Amino acid sequence: MTDAAAIQGRFRERGFIVDEAFATALQIMLAIEKPLLIEGPAGVGKTESAKVLAEVLGTELIRLQCYEGLDAMAALYEWNYPRQMLHARLSEADGSSLDAREAYMFSEKFLLKRPLLEAITRERPPVLLIDEVDRADEAFEAFLLEVLAEWQVTIPELGTIRATHKPHVILTSNRTRELSDALRRRCLFLWLPYPSLDQEIEILHARVPGLSDRLAHQIARLMEVLRGLPLQKAPGVAESLDWAMALMSLHRDRLDASLLSQTLGCVLKVHEDHDVVHEHDAALAPILGSATPGLESGGYSLETDFGFGSVSKPRA
Amino acid sequence: MYPFATVPENLAAFCRILRRRYGFKIGPGELLDAARALDVVSLASEQAVRHALRAVLSGTPEDAAVFDEAFASFFFPGPARVPRDEMPSTRREPGSGAEGREADATAARSTPRPDVDVEDTSGPGGGAMTPFEAAEGPEEEASVFAPSSYSPLEADDVEAPELPRVGRVWREAAQAFVRRLHRGLSRRWRPASRGRRFDLRRTLRASLQTGGEALAPRWLRRPRRAPRFVLLVDGSRSMSDHARTALKMAVAMAGVTRVEVFTFSTELGRVTSEVRRAAAGESCRLEGVHHAWAGGTSIGACLRDFLRRFGGRMLGRDTVVMIASDGLDVGAWETLRSAMRELHRRSAAVVWLNPLLETPGYEPTASGMRAARPFVDTFASVTDAAAFARLSRLVRLRT
Repeated sequence: MTDAAAIQGRFRERGFIVDEAFATALQIMLAIEKPLLIEGPAGVGKTESAKVLAEVLGTELIRLQCYEGLDAMAALYEWNYPRQMLHARLSEADGSSLDAREAYMFSEKFLLKRPLLEAITRERPPVLLIDEVDRADEAFEAFLLEVLAEWQVTIPELGTIRATHKPHVILTSNRTRELSDALRRRCLFLWLPYPSLDQEIEILHARVPGLSDRLAHQIARLMEVLRGLPLQKAPGVAESLDWAMALMSLHRDRLDASLLSQTLGCVLKVHEDHDVVHEHDAALAPILGSATPGLESGGYSLETDFGFGSVSKPRA
Repeated sequence: MYPFATVPENLAAFCRILRRRYGFKIGPGELLDAARALDVVSLASEQAVRHALRAVLSGTPEDAAVFDEAFASFFFPGPARVPRDEMPSTRREPGSGAEGREADATAARSTPRPDVDVEDTSGPGGGAMTPFEAAEGPEEEASVFAPSSYSPLEADDVEAPELPRVGRVWREAAQAFVRRLHRGLSRRWRPASRGRRFDLRRTLRASLQTGGEALAPRWLRRPRRAPRFVLLVDGSRSMSDHARTALKMAVAMAGVTRVEVFTFSTELGRVTSEVRRAAAGESCRLEGVHHAWAGGTSIGACLRDFLRRFGGRMLGRDTVVMIASDGLDVGAWETLRSAMRELHRRSAAVVWLNPLLETPGYEPTASGMRAARPFVDTFASVTDAAAFARLSRLVRLRT
């Protein structure tokens, strides 16, 4: 697991296609034990990559989903108050000293570990995924800096807990907010763009077994065009996979104009975007192949070639 | 492949170029990490070295986009060697790449200084200076910027304007403005003497002093949530005086809160870092934004550009968008209309500061203003600090 090609291979085995830049970034991240910040448009597999990395390393994935209002308590630790109160009541009669009771009540037994603390106290270094870090507010980002720099957590009642092993950290961001320079400097950086045409075809084949080559090509080329349009929500890889599955489940193996408009909802999630696509019909037409006006009006026609790719079939 | 004899020398020289010419934020820590990264990857493979250094040395998508070009011009000086890579920025020629970068990377960087080349030649290795010569981009860039002002007739008075200094009055006005505008309550909980939620942790901790009896309850409260501000200043000729007032607002606000500032006329330019420096007391010119200064105005196209490049990370339901412009638009009003609709949808409030409001009998009837009006929450004009302080009473944030 030390060179980029090996990483690429191991990821590919699990149906996740990474390019060389990504593999090299992962390689360095593992070697110099620095967190990796992955930015890119939504739906290009940022989160998924952390899951696959955990599988590849044969270790655990600990995920911290960031949201607005996430605070240190929810990310680090919390005391188990109900249990503490119960204990306080029950131990009233046992005659131990106040100090002893306090020490017991604030021992690890009453500590609820949250993801960050969990990650640094594991026997084996886990993969720690800090997902959508741009959603948390600046105060949390500052707190995160401290943890990422020191790898230790101070709990006033318990003392300082140092990391047994540094976890492999992946941070993801969708750029809904600019992250601070300080956080960026703590991390390696990787910009994960939309995949190229060939990569996308490869991904489609890897993730949707049984997808015909023609359909994969069509989907990938359409995606390339769609991402170039001025859409409010450009479709990601997740959308192409959804789309491929949807078309598979409809038992279709080619896309035409009518099928496109029927299934466009798999890809475009904003109403205005549908209008934009219809304005650019001309750009999509060549990919949809020969126009099949007869089919649209002529009820149904058997669209599959039952796996015999070269069978030519007269069109209605 | 390598301009200098040893790896550390090459690395140090390369980092210096990235820092000086491309504005990368690289410190000794990054340099050390880069050296460790090169230990891990194979030095024989150009791809591996490039990917490794890109991951370590770049920090933002803008950095990553120009990295390949910088890498190629440092390690492979000489004409037209197109790096084997799929990143689109590398396909450009060095000159146009640098120019495109400057447009993308925005004013967060200092503008390139041609004189750094002289400094660089004193670097390690002395004589072999080909890499530096190959990356002569900045010279061309400077000449690209100079003649791009809108009208050749006005060439004399469009020198880079200096950002205004603001006094205490403006600063206090900004403070009043920002303080009065808050977007409801944050999602966080903070300890407070009187709050809405019981703070079990602190109560229990305090109860230990009283032998386990919780005598003094502690509370939590949600703090107020501060909005983010985006200020877009029209720098066209018809606005020149009022633009100064708007920039005063910007500098004053930058002193008390976070504000992103852009100027626009025919093009959009980000001037946030200049404004921040001015707020910190430096005297600062708006270098490199000639194009956004004293030309005609195409508001719609500039707002579109803003939405596309910065909308994702700067707009949100906490963002107050302020546009200072007279609305005299030379572009198509449909563009302005659709851009304004989107701005409205993705912000907490859209404030339009129009100096023409001061003119008695002014009605927003110009086609641009008419297109924008339905999506403007507050239509006002600010001429002095007192008006600025009053502005907060006019602005209502949508929830």
